Amino acid sequence: MKKPVYIISGLPRSGTSMIMQVLEAGGFPIATDGKRHPDESNPKGYLEIDSIINKLKDNSDFIFNFEDKVVKVIAYGFQYLPSGNYKVIYVERDIDEVLDSMEKMMGAKDESRSGTQKAFIKLNDKTKTDINKREDMDVLFVNYNAILSSPKEHLEEIHRFLKNKNLDLEKMVEVVDEKLYRQKRMK
Amino acid sequence: MEKEFENVSIPTILYKKIEEKIKGSETKSVASYATKVLRESLSKEELTEEELSKEDEEKVKERLKALGYLD
Repeated sequence: MKKPVYIISGLPRSGTSMIMQVLEAGGFPIATDGKRHPDESNPKGYLEIDSIINKLKDNSDFIFNFEDKVVKVIAYGFQYLPSGNYKVIYVERDIDEVLDSMEKMMGAKDESRSGTQKAFIKLNDKTKTDINKREDMDVLFVNYNAILSSPKEHLEEIHRFLKNKNLDLEKMVEVVDEKLYRQKRMK
Repeated sequence: MEKEFENVSIPTILYKKIEEKIKGSETKSVASYATKVLRESLSKEELTEEELSKEDEEKVKERLKALGYLD
């Protein structure tokens, strides 16, 4: 049996980058090409493979370059994942926060926000349903807002889910604590 | 006047597990937890009945392009 590919997924701006940072801090090998540099929307970096959805669309086996590593594939990319062996952490976040964050990143107000909201809620639900139907995916659903409200409790769940990786839980929690500290200072 | 609440029985072992899970959380009772989970489950079933239309997909793709996730 192939080694699992570990996938971090969710809607864009749902906290997938934070989970990647948490896992990297814990000692998990991260799949990143470093092409997308840190910016105001993600000051600690995106930790992703550039255009991964397009790459998977062209050749779905591309995903097997990341066996035993953790790679970010946002929800829309799931349709291109071939049969394999996956462990998935799927992140959810309050949909209004997701949309606010998208607007901030695009630097423009979404004039058809209710349509965008409807489309992304459907994408989120469809992806979760599809993941649950797939026998090659072991999934843990986590919530970004819950992680920020009680980091240790929720990161312990992730730690348990990845127990064979022997990650450093304290360092994982530090990433979220630092984020919360920065947020408080900015208020 | 119609009753506002009804009783539902669940196995004691499950009740105790939920009690343990909500300790220290914002959920104050097993009844609140059960109500929340059942509501989520029902709304999920209702929502998944609605498939992602062509129009929805175009909207998603347009946003993903603007955010740099799609070429």
